Amino acid sequence: MNSLLAQFLAEAADLLALVDAGLLELERAPGDPDLVNEVFRAAHTLKGSSGLFDFPELTRLTHAVEDLLDAVRAGELPLDSGMTDDLLAAFDLIRGWLAYVTGNECLPATAGADAATLIGRLRAPIGGEPVPAETRLGSAWPDLAPSWLAVFDQEWLAETAAWLRTTSARMRFARYVPDSGCFFRAEDPLHLIRQVPALARLDVLEPARWPAAEDYDEYACLVSFVFAARAGAGEIGYLFRYVNDQIEVADLDGDTIQRFLTGPAETAVEISKPGPEMTGEARAVLAAALRGLSANPTGGPHLISVAGAITQAARALGDPVEIREPDVVTLTATVTRLLADAPPPAENPVAENPVAENPVAENPVEVGGRILKVDQAKVDHLMELAGELTVAKNGLAFLAEGADKEFGRRIKDQHAGLHRIAEDLQAAVMDIRMLPLSVAFARFPRLVRDLSRRLGKSVELVLTGEETMADKDVIEALADPLVHLVRNSLDHGVETVGERLASGKPGTARIALAAAADGDAVVVEISDDGRGVDPARVRRKAYEKGLISEAELETLSDADAVDLVFRPGFSTAEQISDLSGRGVGMDAVRAGVQKLGGAVTMCSQLGGGTTVRLRLPLSMAVTQVLVISVAGQRFGIPVDLVVETVRVPVAEMGRVLHQDVVVLRGEVVPVTDLARALDMPWQPDPAEDRAILIVTVAGQRMGLLVERFHREVDVLLKPMEGLLAYADEFAGTALLGDGLVLLVLNMEEVLGLAARVG
Amino acid sequence: MPLELGDTTATLIGVVTVDEVEELATWLRVTAKPRVNLRKCNHLHTGAFQAILHFRPKVSAAPTDVFLAGLVLPLLMGSGGPPIRERSEP
Repeated sequence: MNSLLAQFLAEAADLLALVDAGLLELERAPGDPDLVNEVFRAAHTLKGSSGLFDFPELTRLTHAVEDLLDAVRAGELPLDSGMTDDLLAAFDLIRGWLAYVTGNECLPATAGADAATLIGRLRAPIGGEPVPAETRLGSAWPDLAPSWLAVFDQEWLAETAAWLRTTSARMRFARYVPDSGCFFRAEDPLHLIRQVPALARLDVLEPARWPAAEDYDEYACLVSFVFAARAGAGEIGYLFRYVNDQIEVADLDGDTIQRFLTGPAETAVEISKPGPEMTGEARAVLAAALRGLSANPTGGPHLISVAGAITQAARALGDPVEIREPDVVTLTATVTRLLADAPPPAENPVAENPVAENPVAENPVEVGGRILKVDQAKVDHLMELAGELTVAKNGLAFLAEGADKEFGRRIKDQHAGLHRIAEDLQAAVMDIRMLPLSVAFARFPRLVRDLSRRLGKSVELVLTGEETMADKDVIEALADPLVHLVRNSLDHGVETVGERLASGKPGTARIALAAAADGDAVVVEISDDGRGVDPARVRRKAYEKGLISEAELETLSDADAVDLVFRPGFSTAEQISDLSGRGVGMDAVRAGVQKLGGAVTMCSQLGGGTTVRLRLPLSMAVTQVLVISVAGQRFGIPVDLVVETVRVPVAEMGRVLHQDVVVLRGEVVPVTDLARALDMPWQPDPAEDRAILIVTVAGQRMGLLVERFHREVDVLLKPMEGLLAYADEFAGTALLGDGLVLLVLNMEEVLGLAARVG
Repeated sequence: MPLELGDTTATLIGVVTVDEVEELATWLRVTAKPRVNLRKCNHLHTGAFQAILHFRPKVSAAPTDVFLAGLVLPLLMGSGGPPIRERSEP
């Protein structure tokens, strides 16, 4: 893909997110000028950038969006939710197109038709019939000078402008781009131009690159013309009636030309925008004029154009001046006075204008933080390398043990230094991968708005702790469970307005998404103030579905009953809706979160609401494991499961109901022989204390009888692949510094295995 | 004959039409330091104009035709010509 397009796509994604957030915010605070401006600017940037590529539908659609937003911005019409829907639909369509563009580098074939309907809807409120795509954005200026005016000799233009202003006259300017095969149709462009009455000026546009002499085809028309004439537009139109698609005519007055000369780069939108930027620009024009005057005090036309520029700037500053007979002295005096009177720019206008204003800005130095967009795969690769470095570094420790004393000490010194650098590197790379939770939360305002409207419920979404950072893998993996949970809250948790009012709650429900960092984990809570989970109903449902026994039906505590919703095959919704409730919801959430090494818990109060708590590791790239050995073989156990390691004299081991137990601080903990669970023959030395690892798995405290404890290491966990992919009892493999492959245990599965082995 | 091609100078006479374009272009292509005499030229076909614009021969004599002299010749002589407003002013 061409790099410009790639950049456009990356930028467009950001802009779309900005627009979505802005529009939703706007619905809450209608008419907030800053917000309208922000959305407008994003749309404007999108339109501008889209013009660089051959996406006419995209440009037309964004143009319609921009026009509507412009009307809103000007206060001509209030933004209602119907319009917001249309705008959101337009941006959704654009998002879809861009996804297609990413794959195919062109817009889908249906783009034209899709855009046409939306453009019609978007334009309806502003009452405008579709404006042709060619119309320049400066519709505020009835006759904005076309850009090709620059082809004319500037001195001549300045003179003409002055003359037209003095006489309040107008002139017709035309660009004629003959088709390259026109000679074969017996057309002679110059002959046509010759017939234009009162032709004042003719200029030729040569091709950007002439073909080499031997390739030059004398029968292809490569040149085009611009001309100025006093002939009426009708006369020109009549003469060029057979080639009217090749000619563009503008009827301009002196002021328009002057405006073009003073600020060819300025767009009308910027001119019509009052405020500090404007003042800043006017000051810049004045300063430039002053420099020009002192550096180059030539006569005639130069002074006329400088005078024009000064008049413009003065008008912008709200201090119009009349310059009749420009000469160096009066001009210098005027400029000096204006500069002294004009308020200095309040703030640095560059800092104020977001970069978005000019997407393909050529100035490489931006004020403020610079952001480098990097392909995600590159960062992943860097992460992997940092991990490999850690592993390679670990190898040094083993080397030191094998070397003689003096040399070993030196290796250890080196190792210490390397260790520090590797840690720093790892931390730095992790930092790159860190994203704020707001990325994961971003879609919810929209989701909640759309769903609550569809369900006819009134819901307020509260987001907190969005600035909490977590690894991008975590953020990405969090997306699906969160959507599930929020949908569940909306669909099952939140009652309709009527039900809520009847039970004495405010009509508008509240769904809160809160994130907080907790050590090396991040906790995300989804809470609602809806009807809550009814433990009795859950128990009954679970029993009906055969998920629990009759005894459990009687004995299960309310908290445990609520937990049943996470069981596979459980769905409480009486009626399956298309939002959620296909019975794959909550267990999928739990499975998803556990795969990330996290945990889900739910607590609910009947009638008072439900809170679901997700706890996830901040990062998944490097896993800390405790190395233990069983029957002479080493295994890893994720450290976050480990509660403590204890050595218990054989005499203190007890046996309750055919289960080895150990009593720790008054608590009875069942102990599983890991060797037996893994089917590895091993007989512990009867004289030695038992090494027991206490872990928490699925909320339960368990003891694991192992042979020896080793160190804790950071490893890069690689999932089991190929022939071993079926081996669920292992979470993955990791390479240790001494070259040994460490199998990391998936404790849930291992304990399940142990239960089956008995 | 609207086109008289000499060793170094081409003389264009009367109305140069599309039929002369190829001949002129071929001559311009092969002639070192070509010159064109436009004095008696009344109209230049766009193709001929384009060929002259491309190969940039020296214009040895300016045309007398008002349109060619006032508006077209400056384009062939390089950028910018004398402003012509005073003549076309009403």
